[in-house]
Amino acid sequence: MESLHPRVRLLWIAQEALAAIALGVGLAAVDRWLVDVPTVALGVVVALGFVLGVAYAVRRYGVWRFEIESDALYLERGVVTFVETAVPFVRVQHVDTQFGPVERVFGLSSVVVYTAGSRNADVRIPGLTPERAERIQDTLRQLATESDATDAV
Amino acid sequence: MASETNRLHPLSGAMMALRRGFTGFSIPFFLTGVGSGILGIDADLTIDLLFVLSPLGFVVGVGYGLAYYYRFTYALTADTFDVTSGVLSRRAREIPYRRVQNVDVSQGIVQRLLGLAVVSIETAGGGSTEATLRFVGSDEADRIRSEIRRRTAAVDDASDATERSAATDSLSETADEDVVEPQRDNDAARGDRSTTLLFELEVGELLVYAATAFRWGAAVFPILLVTLFLDPDSGAGFLPDFVFETARSVGGPESIDGAPVDALLILAAVAALQWFVATYVASALYTIVNYYGFQLGRQGNDLLYERGLLQRYSGSIPTDKIQSVTITDNPLQRLVGYAGLWIETAGYGPESTGGNQSAVPMAAESRIYRFATALTGVDRPDFRGASPLARRRYLVRYSLLAVGVVALAFGASRVTGLERWYLAAVVVAAAPLAAHLKYVNIGYHVGDDHIVIRRGFWRRRTTVIPYYRVQTLSTRRSIFQRRLGLASLVVDTASSQTFTWSEPTIEDIDLETARTLHETCGERLQTALRERAGDDVGLSVEPGNRP
Repeated sequence: MESLHPRVRLLWIAQEALAAIALGVGLAAVDRWLVDVPTVALGVVVALGFVLGVAYAVRRYGVWRFEIESDALYLERGVVTFVETAVPFVRVQHVDTQFGPVERVFGLSSVVVYTAGSRNADVRIPGLTPERAERIQDTLRQLATESDATDAV
Repeated sequence: MASETNRLHPLSGAMMALRRGFTGFSIPFFLTGVGSGILGIDADLTIDLLFVLSPLGFVVGVGYGLAYYYRFTYALTADTFDVTSGVLSRRAREIPYRRVQNVDVSQGIVQRLLGLAVVSIETAGGGSTEATLRFVGSDEADRIRSEIRRRTAAVDDASDATERSAATDSLSETADEDVVEPQRDNDAARGDRSTTLLFELEVGELLVYAATAFRWGAAVFPILLVTLFLDPDSGAGFLPDFVFETARSVGGPESIDGAPVDALLILAAVAALQWFVATYVASALYTIVNYYGFQLGRQGNDLLYERGLLQRYSGSIPTDKIQSVTITDNPLQRLVGYAGLWIETAGYGPESTGGNQSAVPMAAESRIYRFATALTGVDRPDFRGASPLARRRYLVRYSLLAVGVVALAFGASRVTGLERWYLAAVVVAAAPLAAHLKYVNIGYHVGDDHIVIRRGFWRRRTTVIPYYRVQTLSTRRSIFQRRLGLASLVVDTASSQTFTWSEPTIEDIDLETARTLHETCGERLQTALRERAGDDVGLSVEPGNRP
């Protein structure tokens, strides 16, 4: 089982911090225009949000695992709802590597695997170094072509 | 056969021209309206302008409509169905026959009188219908449909002609003379253009369907009727008069203003009841109008359906594109022993946004199961249920919900002076029953070739998924499930039905069981795919037809 790159924690913490700040701004707006919110309460809520966010990000990193098995891509993830997913290579329609602007700041990228399925049609592995992402994409592409037995649909 | 280029029906050219002409005619009105309103152009000048511009717009619109008609062509080539369209920007689309999921033909009332039909061709890609021919003659529509299916079969045959010779010997013991006609040589079956009738909806079945299928979508009809046909000033605000009159006889208020809360509640209950009854009637009428004369037949490897009283729908579903088969029933239908059968493909049907087709709208349950057996080869499933812990989980869930309802009633009593709020505690008593019903309706069956998943009480769905149609498998555990050592297994297929229904999920089974099932399904998918390599036929109507 492979973990994500440790740096992804920073990325997720940064995202949670942004969310906490957004919450703070929202509360400040409520304070300014609607009802008085004590500054202490505001600080406590934002700090609590931040701490929870950091804990969530760390836990999320700790839980995330993936593995390229003999016939399927296997993923484990989820803090609140823990999900184990198997994506058989035969079902892979195409594979993308993605570099979002925020991800690029942290030198990370993601691999997105598309299937013809309905709800979980795209499976994303975040927090990979660009080289690792490209290697995974190559491997998956190869495995998907090899195991191309029949039509997906 | 040489590919020929075809146009739509001439009448549709005339219609298109008229519609575009009308659009062209009305645009100057809109523009001058804006012009005089905002820019302050003189009114006399505006009228003069209209006299010139509107006929001009009409002529341009008619010209555009005619050009669109003449530039819209379709052709059935050896391997693809081609559609070329567009006046200014041209679009040429080629749809390989192998990728066609289903072909649907629909006819509205006016179209039926004029002998026209709309043909929709679905593939698995994209979010909508791939090609729509609006309109062709109804004979032409039938020709297109059968030609597409004939050529698809020809393309398939060319690619795997050698694969299937030995597979046709035995008729499975599950076959039923009601559904499956005697086995024949496969090539003959493919080339066969005669239609075998598999199912015909009888009047009794239609009435059972109409009486038991409750469509919430029909709830808009009563509202439409009230807003369209009643004088808006006749009632107090948004409620029509007759609602007040009925409510008054059981203690409703004279008017909304200043009425006591209890009287208002009675009024609300009466209005809701009337709305419900009207919705029920509308829903039953909808069902009758849409499913009157339903027929399902088989032609070669396709299922053909036909239905509708005023608007006719017909179409073909290739059996090798079927993703899964779902049996639906609600408590009423279970009470009278009836159920419906739906076929799911990856395309988009006219039924809704999902690619589901009703194969058998309503029939006695035993007949439905025989049908499912004939379609998929699955035996009558021997269900295993969820973990007994699941019932406890649902009990807690529904109890919390009930407590929430009581709390709301209490809160409302503080604000509005509502008396007897504690009557809401009745819902707490319903929680154990609800939990039990949810629990007993969960079931799954792991067959040799299929997994069968049953869930839901109000609209119970039993989905039969062949292993080779499985896309991804997920084991999900929420924090509450983890505490109890439970898990849910999600079996995803390419069926686009799951956009409107939830994905097939086996809920709340032991973690160990879920893990084993997950593995079993994964392995059987691989085995099934290996067995089927090169034998790309899919669900066959003959159960004994697979290796």
